Amino acid sequence: MNICVLVKQVPDHEAIVRAAPDGSVEVEDRWVTNFFDEIAIEQALRIRDAHDGTLTAVAAGGARQVDALRRALAMGANAALHVSDPALDSGDALVVARALAAAIETLSPDLVLAGRVALDDEMGYVGPAVAHALAIPHVANVVALDVGDSALKADRLVEGGVETVEGPLPALVTATKGLCEPRVPKVMAVMKASRAKIDARDLASFGIEPPSPTMRIDGHEAPPSRPAVEMIQGTPDEQVRRLARILLDAVGGGS
Amino acid sequence: MQFRFDEEQEFFRSQVRDTVDRLIRPRVREIDEKDEFPRDLWEELGSLGYFGLRHEERWGGMEADTVTSMIFFEELARGSAGFFMSVTVQMLMGTYFIGRFGSDAIKERVLQPAIEGRKITCICFTEDQSGSDLAGCRTTATRDGDDWILTGTKQWITNGPIVDAATVMATTDPSAGLRGLSFFLVEEGMEGFAKGQRFHKLGTKGAPTGELVLDHVRVPADHHLGEETGRGLEYSTDILNQVRVMTGLAACSIADEAMKDAAGFARGRVAFGKPIAKYQLIREKFGRFWVKYEAARTFLYRVAWMIDQGMECRKEAMAAKWLASEMCLEAVDEATRIYAGNGFSMEYDAQRYFRDARFLLSGGGTHEVLVNFLGGQYLRGVT
Repeated sequence: MNICVLVKQVPDHEAIVRAAPDGSVEVEDRWVTNFFDEIAIEQALRIRDAHDGTLTAVAAGGARQVDALRRALAMGANAALHVSDPALDSGDALVVARALAAAIETLSPDLVLAGRVALDDEMGYVGPAVAHALAIPHVANVVALDVGDSALKADRLVEGGVETVEGPLPALVTATKGLCEPRVPKVMAVMKASRAKIDARDLASFGIEPPSPTMRIDGHEAPPSRPAVEMIQGTPDEQVRRLARILLDAVGGGS
Repeated sequence: MQFRFDEEQEFFRSQVRDTVDRLIRPRVREIDEKDEFPRDLWEELGSLGYFGLRHEERWGGMEADTVTSMIFFEELARGSAGFFMSVTVQMLMGTYFIGRFGSDAIKERVLQPAIEGRKITCICFTEDQSGSDLAGCRTTATRDGDDWILTGTKQWITNGPIVDAATVMATTDPSAGLRGLSFFLVEEGMEGFAKGQRFHKLGTKGAPTGELVLDHVRVPADHHLGEETGRGLEYSTDILNQVRVMTGLAACSIADEAMKDAAGFARGRVAFGKPIAKYQLIREKFGRFWVKYEAARTFLYRVAWMIDQGMECRKEAMAAKWLASEMCLEAVDEATRIYAGNGFSMEYDAQRYFRDARFLLSGGGTHEVLVNFLGGQYLRGVT
């Protein structure tokens, strides 16, 4: 079975991120592979091993994305494909999805896995958009996955429960927490991955014109800072009266 | 001159950090509070192959260079300081003489399982009357036919209470001082080898530390770890340079973690209407820390590089370890001051960094011994 997994490097959850006065985003230089992508890699490795297949990790973007590919290699992926093109700098998710789809098409996979969402922009858009571009079905938010030779069965989280779906391959599945626990790579594999040669390929090499951006980011703003906390003082009776006043004011109530 | 980590080293660091974040950091408080050796964590780290970083591939190692191994130690020290102690003793000292001088039979029986995390090792320098003063060693090794008979008591042995195979420094000629020292392998189960009292420590909890007693322990000839007797000091100098760089980098990580914690607190703690991070006296603490941290860390990696180049660096290793440890002791103190009353509370981590950092004062040589030696070298014009 030929499997692809989409990966992305995102800011570490402890990295300091702030909206700069000019509307751009400043991110502390601490990056990790997206949490949900690691779940997708792990699941892809398990399916690969069960079906005696191959797993290729695919990423689109700048040089930083190479670390996400190396992470996938360290975990056990067979190969890595890096799509790097100036057209990807716009940050437009549809452009990224089209670029990824063009790269994946050359690999003719039976199954594509991706994380449910990237923990930087939290759009959750690229996975389904890649499926659309490839004209294959997709199942999102998957917590259990059973893959056969030509079909899959997946449990996906929906509002208030779990939905079980079945469908044909090839397909794209986005993974979420609960699907599996990503492995910690062995040091030998880390060393090997750190030395792996990963070539960057531009969009022209896949035979497509750079797609035009469909979206423009006008700016970023920090959420308004919270007002100071008021510690309610006084006797219990006074505290209750004060609390009731605050709650009534908050809901626009009367006296 | 190029002085930066390459892409491979940066990737390696990111992966070690991820491993430490995932496996060790969630356990730090538990290890500290229970003061129990986390054997499951030890076995997991062993199964990932990290214990073999410096050893030959033939025995499951990676043959990594010094700079790479120091990157690992620096990141490991961001987790539990106690677990760091146990691991570094295993990787740098407990298996060093075995890997360098052990017979294939010994490597198969001890080194390979140690690399896989199935055996625990230690090194025994310190005694009740000697530590940094190696010539004060009173444990003796006496020849008896082909065998050696070891007698003495070792103290402050990290991993001692749980050890499977100990590398023991002993003198084969008490009158020869430093030139009479040699190292011997002593294995669990040998007659006369016993684990004595376990020490209760202020910090680095979870690294069992105690006394090992050698009462006429008979070891075969191949348990002498060295080309010839009396060259123990020369052999140990090689590893002590690495130990000092490793200790210095632990100091950097403990300091950095303590100050990062303190920075988070300072940004959120409001006094007189604004976060305390806005006050100059608080900002100065971070500024001074950062300058000294960068200086110490840069010095340490330069020494690691010197080791890889095969350059003589005994003095530099001592100096860098001293600088980093003094920097750390100041930083963990300042961190508790930033936390003010909360720095005195067991609920916050500031006190743990403060306690853990105290091991730096003796690990890799006491600061009094180191700085006295360095001062003497300077006065003799040989720095």
